[in-house]
Amino acid sequence: MSMKPSDSRLLDWVNVVLLVLAGVLVMTPTAWMILSSFKPSFEVTAYPPTLIFDPTVENYVTLTEQTPFLRYTMNSIIVTTGSTLLGLLLGTPAAFVASWTRITWPAVVALMARMAPGTLFLLPWYVMFRQVDMIGSYWALILTHAVITLPIVTWVLLPYFDNIPRSIFEAAQVDGCSPFRIFRRIALPLVSAGLAVAAILAFVFSWNFFLFSLVLSNSQSKTLIAASFNFIGEGSTNWGGLMAAATIIALPPLILAAVVQRWLISGLTLGAVKG
Amino acid sequence: MASITMRNLVKKYGAVTVIPDLNLEIADEEFIVLVGPSGCGKSTLLRVLAGLEAIDGGDLMIGETRVNDVPAARRDIAMVFQDYALYPHMTVRQNMTFALEMRGMTAAEIQPKVEEAARLLDILPYLDRRPKALSGGQRQRVAMGRAIVRDPQVFLFDEPLSNLDAKLRGQVRAEIKTLSKKLKTTMVFVTHDQVEAMTMADRIVVMKSGIIQQVGSPEEVYENPRNLFVASFIGAPSMNFLPARIEGDEIVLADDSRLPTALMAEAASGTGEVILGIRPEHFELVAEGQGLAADIDLVEPLGSDTLVHARAAGQEIIARVSPDLRPRAGQRLWLSPVAGKAHLFDPVTEERINSQLRQNA
Repeated sequence: MSMKPSDSRLLDWVNVVLLVLAGVLVMTPTAWMILSSFKPSFEVTAYPPTLIFDPTVENYVTLTEQTPFLRYTMNSIIVTTGSTLLGLLLGTPAAFVASWTRITWPAVVALMARMAPGTLFLLPWYVMFRQVDMIGSYWALILTHAVITLPIVTWVLLPYFDNIPRSIFEAAQVDGCSPFRIFRRIALPLVSAGLAVAAILAFVFSWNFFLFSLVLSNSQSKTLIAASFNFIGEGSTNWGGLMAAATIIALPPLILAAVVQRWLISGLTLGAVKG
Repeated sequence: MASITMRNLVKKYGAVTVIPDLNLEIADEEFIVLVGPSGCGKSTLLRVLAGLEAIDGGDLMIGETRVNDVPAARRDIAMVFQDYALYPHMTVRQNMTFALEMRGMTAAEIQPKVEEAARLLDILPYLDRRPKALSGGQRQRVAMGRAIVRDPQVFLFDEPLSNLDAKLRGQVRAEIKTLSKKLKTTMVFVTHDQVEAMTMADRIVVMKSGIIQQVGSPEEVYENPRNLFVASFIGAPSMNFLPARIEGDEIVLADDSRLPTALMAEAASGTGEVILGIRPEHFELVAEGQGLAADIDLVEPLGSDTLVHARAAGQEIIARVSPDLRPRAGQRLWLSPVAGKAHLFDPVTEERINSQLRQNA
């Protein structure tokens, strides 16, 4: 059915309006957070909110001088990188095997674990890690964050592996490859774009995860996001400091997402367009 | 270089039996073509030979070795896939050397083999290109090159020409045949195209529903099809089938026209229902009032000859006639089968009635 040019123009306008609305909804809190981080603490909670103010870096100075901010950043980097690598190490072969054998139920179980609220795991893990004296260790956080990264890696990569014509794997079999060699020499190079997408998504989700670090870390191993909780006191909250911390925490995922957005979109829609 | 023996071979997918009980001997250096319609089990059989599918019963021998439980990687066979299955992230050269590297051969051993195969297939200029940068025909050659460098015991081809255009298909067909003579390796080629089967094979294996219908040289299968299925599948256009009755030494057709049984390839006498099979190219023109009256519906001039679609004895038939005849739609022709070329089939068993052939004069 053909569409009249006027109808198509109207649709374009509706599209623009909806996109602007969605943009405003998503960006307003982010903009508010960034602006607030440059306001003195008392002005953050001012009502109505001030849009014109004297910007100050006081909150950032407090953040770096009064808290072990660098340590928390390093903790976040170690935990996030470790759990992303662990997720890739286990999730990539898992996705390959699920695609190869067409047995996907283990991947579904992994996804269910991801869907379940984190509190479900928290108590048993706390007891377990306490018994082996691992509370506060990086390994406790890396292992627990793998519950986030592993399903992401598996499910992002599954359609990438599915998209490789099966005959290519069969040709490799006939050429004398063991399944492991097929994985390493044929399948992995063919899903390199998917690996990048999976790594970035796993990194972002692990970086942003708050709960496990809050309970399973100590003052030495706390990640940035859990540490930012310190700004919320029982009596008063340092809103300016909290906003400055939140802005810095949000930066790496935002930068990563901006840099690789084209890849991300193609990666996330790959399964959807498979014929 | 090896012979292949299949004894009581069974292949199932769950509850579905694709190959119920197959026996076939393929001689060393023989070029065998497995042919049949979609779903006849020919590709499954090839995959079983390759080791890509497990065997559910019987024996598969390559040479003197039983390979039922030998994985594909250790069968020393090479396969050309329908979609070529080239490794997209590797250059042509890497595609060709990959299997040799897997065997632990050194670069010094590999290099001359690749050069030789590339020269043989005329792909030397493309060795450093990726498959994406090649045309369909060039990719096909690379797939063959990848198989040739292996110097395997057996070559398997899974409909490798089906993605090529008609002109290229004819050219590559001839090249594969020439290659098979040069390489002197056992080759099993799967196709649904009976022209490919006829032109390339030393022996054709016609399959239907996982069962071998006939094995024989192209001439044998064409001249003496064992049953209605083979008769209809081999030859293009297909053989014409006309229900008839034998009455003494005459064959009586539905419109009461009569043909002498002496014209048939098989000796037949007595009384009974039959199906008369005549290939389009085995009609000859006879005098008015003799043979079959064929009223022309459609004429297809092919240049070298002309196909006539006509109604005869209550059936649609196709006859291949000389273009000089210049037939026209609406015209009536009088046709008779060429002596010794028409066949009789049992309408119940669908087998050819008498395997005892009349000696053609």
